Parts: sequence; structure tokens; C-alpha cells
Amino acid sequence: MFFDTREGLALALPAAIFALLLFIAPVGILLSEAFQSDNGWTLQGYIDFFAKPLNRTVFLRTLKLGILVAGTAAVIGYAAAFCIVNLSASARGRVFGLVVLPLMISPVARTYAWIVILGRTGIVNDTIVGLGLSDTPIRLLFTETAVFLGLLQLFMPLMIISLVSAMENIPRDVIPAARVLGANWFQVFFKVILPLTKEGLVVGGTLVFTGALTAYITPAILGGSKVLMLETLLYQRVNVANDFVSASVIAMILIVMSFSANLLLKRIATARK
Amino acid sequence: MRNLTTSTILGLTLTFLIGPFIIIIFAGASAGETLAFPPDGLSLKWYLKVFTIESFRESFLLSLFLAIFGTVTALLLGVPAAYALNRYDLPGAETIRTVVAAPIIVPGIIVGLALLRYLVVPLDFTVTMALFMAHTALVLPYAVRVVSSSLNNLRADMEEAAVLLGCTRMQAFTKVVLPNIRGGVLAAFILGFVTSFNQVPVSLFLSGPGVKTLPIDMLAYMEITYDPSVAALSALLAFMSLSIVFVAERLLGFSRYV
Repeated sequence: MFFDTREGLALALPAAIFALLLFIAPVGILLSEAFQSDNGWTLQGYIDFFAKPLNRTVFLRTLKLGILVAGTAAVIGYAAAFCIVNLSASARGRVFGLVVLPLMISPVARTYAWIVILGRTGIVNDTIVGLGLSDTPIRLLFTETAVFLGLLQLFMPLMIISLVSAMENIPRDVIPAARVLGANWFQVFFKVILPLTKEGLVVGGTLVFTGALTAYITPAILGGSKVLMLETLLYQRVNVANDFVSASVIAMILIVMSFSANLLLKRIATARK
Repeated sequence: MRNLTTSTILGLTLTFLIGPFIIIIFAGASAGETLAFPPDGLSLKWYLKVFTIESFRESFLLSLFLAIFGTVTALLLGVPAAYALNRYDLPGAETIRTVVAAPIIVPGIIVGLALLRYLVVPLDFTVTMALFMAHTALVLPYAVRVVSSSLNNLRADMEEAAVLLGCTRMQAFTKVVLPNIRGGVLAAFILGFVTSFNQVPVSLFLSGPGVKTLPIDMLAYMEITYDPSVAALSALLAFMSLSIVFVAERLLGFSRYV
């Protein structure tokens, strides 16, 4: 046979073994750590974790910010993607390039810019004080709003890219046809555009939501210890308290949340078919 | 009316996405001592100062080393794997695919912590070695995915023809397959390089005293000093990434592969 199975395995296995030994095994052991105690298997690590009010607050905040960022990115993303798809071919390429461009820039650089914008002597505060709206600068950094803006800016391109490629596949005449037949723009969106682009929404939504959940730099720089998210909490637990059980619990929560978001969105997308 | 709405929506979106980047460039070009926008006068002193900071030079070299060698190793593992998954009817192909793609799904901070706990501490790996492993694993999914999609567009009977005409299997691969997927391999390299170079969470726990990747070093520097040098460095790095992508786009239409 031309493509011999054994030969194929010899080619594929080095990569698989590498990922298995250096990646899946260590992560697996880390995840199992919270389930182990001196007298066998236990859920105590999880019970203790959720018993602390701070941990519950951080968990709910991470979930809330993830949903808010993904939701806002979807709303802006649909508007932007719709405009991009309707541009002339050359303009479309240029605008699309500008949307992709930030993805190539270091997240540290992109997040750092928000310090310049939102800091005590930043643009926003200078304007507020300059206009006499407030006598003293307002605290904008280390708030949930700052983290929200940073995350939205970081991950919105992923949503726009997914939605643009979904919208490019809508047949040209469908929207004019719906309009001619009397649909208003509201109906066009919910009855035509949304059903035809929901796969793009699922991909974009999963990318943005999991991106926001697992971002470290943005909550670290813009939230600090005042606005902890699960990732920054994990770092703090390990570095300050050597608390590996909490780290293992948070790791599991992050992985479960990412997977369930993907499953849930897929569910929603197929349910309406 | 339609046109006005379109330009408003796109204008606002792009300002939000690109604006902060422009602010960084100018904040780094400040003549003053503290971070501000608009800057207190313009000068290039912070852009020049970046090059004189010893720890930035060291961490830049480490990041460069990790990005280049990590990505090359990932390609050495990933290209044969992608080839096998595309051409051969493998038992458990789906499992292999999932295992190889796993590093993209698990949050980086967990990977870093797991490697530190179970490889560096008990097995006496050096921190640099662990960082190298982590960055390789991180890039592996991209290498397999991008090379796979370029292999999909290449018909398998070309290799069969080459073998029938007298090539060995290895020659068929190097003379027929490789030249045809060259663009995909290069695209995977660039994507891997940029991903690895900008990576923070994986390196967070794995950075030790004296061994820091550049983004980690920048985070540490920011905590002590508020001067514009990090802004200047951010702008320089952004230019570096953008020029790489721009050259790649011009040479081989990089965006087709991503």
C-alpha cells in the first residue's frame, strides 16, 4: 500500500507524544490535585474555594465580564462586519487589514495604552477636569470599566473576522429580497442575517468569551488587586500563599467554562435550525 | 445617508481598535519624564533609552531565542504530523488531532504552572528549558493547523506520480510536497513567532531570577517606574511585528493562510 499505516504513525506520533508528555500529563496532574487528600478522593478543595466570599465575587465577575465583552463585541461586530462586507473590494481589504492589525501587536503594548488614556493625568481625566465637570481626577484605572474596555479592545477583532467571513457567504440578493417583501431592518436582522451567520457568531463568541476569561495581562494591568479576575486570582494564590489547591480549582473552572461556552453556543446555533 | 452611517460605524470601530496604538507611539516620544498624552514636547530620548536598559536587552534575546527555536521545533514535529494526518488512514487520527491541538484550548497560565510544578521542580529542568518546551507546545497547534490546510489543497497523486517516476518516498516529499506547501510552512512560522514572542501567561510562572521573557520584563518594569520607556518599547515591538507581517504579506500573501 502506498500510504503505509505504520509509516504514518511514525510521522504523527512524535508530535502527539511531545504534547502528551510535556503538556497534557502535567496539566492533568495539576487538575487532579484539588481532588486528592490524605484519605483518598475529595471535593473539599472545591467546597472550600466557593465558601470564601472573595472567590465567589471573582468567579461571578469573570463570568460577567466574559459575557459582557462577548455580547458587546457581537453587537459592534455585526454593525462593523455588515459595513465591511458592503464596501468595495479594495476598501474592504484595507479596512479588514486594519481590523486584523491589532492582533499582531503585543497585548502588553495594547493594554498599556489604556493607562495613558484612563490614568490620573490621562486624556479622559484631563478633559473632565478641563471642562470643569470635576475638580479632581476621577479614578478610572483599576475599575471593572477599565478591564472591560481593555478586554473588548483586545478581542473584538476576533469577532469581526468571524462575522465578516460568515457574512461573505450570505447570497447577495437575500437581504434586498427580504426588504422588497416588506421586512423592516429589525426583521431582516433577526430572520435573515442572524440565522445565516450564526456559525460565525458561535466561533467569534467562543473565541472572545474564552479569550476574556483567560486573559492575564489586561486584568493585571488595568484591574490590579482591586479588580481580580480568575487568572489574576490564580497567580496571586500561588505567588502569595503557595496555595496550589485553589490554583487547581481555578484551572478546572477556567477549562470547564471555556468548554461549556463552546457547547452552549453550538447548542443555541443548532436549536434554531 | 447609507454611506455616512457606514463611515461613522467603521470610523468609530477603527478608532477604538487602532487609536490606543497611535497614543502609545506619541506617549513614547515624549520629552517629559512621566507618561502623558498629549506628550510634553517631542523627543526620541525614550526610544533611545530602551536600548540602554540592560535587562530589556537580555529578555529581548531570550524572547527571540524562544520564538525562533520554539517555532522551528514545533514545525519539525508539526509538519510530519500534519502530513501523516492528511495522507494516511491512521487509527485514532481524531485522538492524535485532539492531543496535538490541546495546547490552544488550555489557558496559558495553567500550562506554565503545571510545567513548573511537575517538570522544573521534580525533574530538574532548567527554567530556560521549560520555557522552550512550553513555547514549542504552544506553537504546535498552529503549525499543524496551518500546514494541514495547505496540504489539503495539494493532491496526493502528485507524490504517487513522483514515486512511480523513480523518486524515493523522501525525495517525493522534499521535491514535490515541500516546495508546494512552502507558503503554508512560512505562514505557520510567522504566526508561531508572533504568538510565542507576545506570549505572557505561559511564561509567568516559568520566569525565574535573571530569566525573563521580554513581555514579563516589561510588566515588571511598569510596576516600578512610570516613565515613557515602556511605551516606546511597546511601539518598537509593534513595528517589529507589523513589518514581519507586512513583508510576509507582500512576499506570499500571508493572510490566505491564517
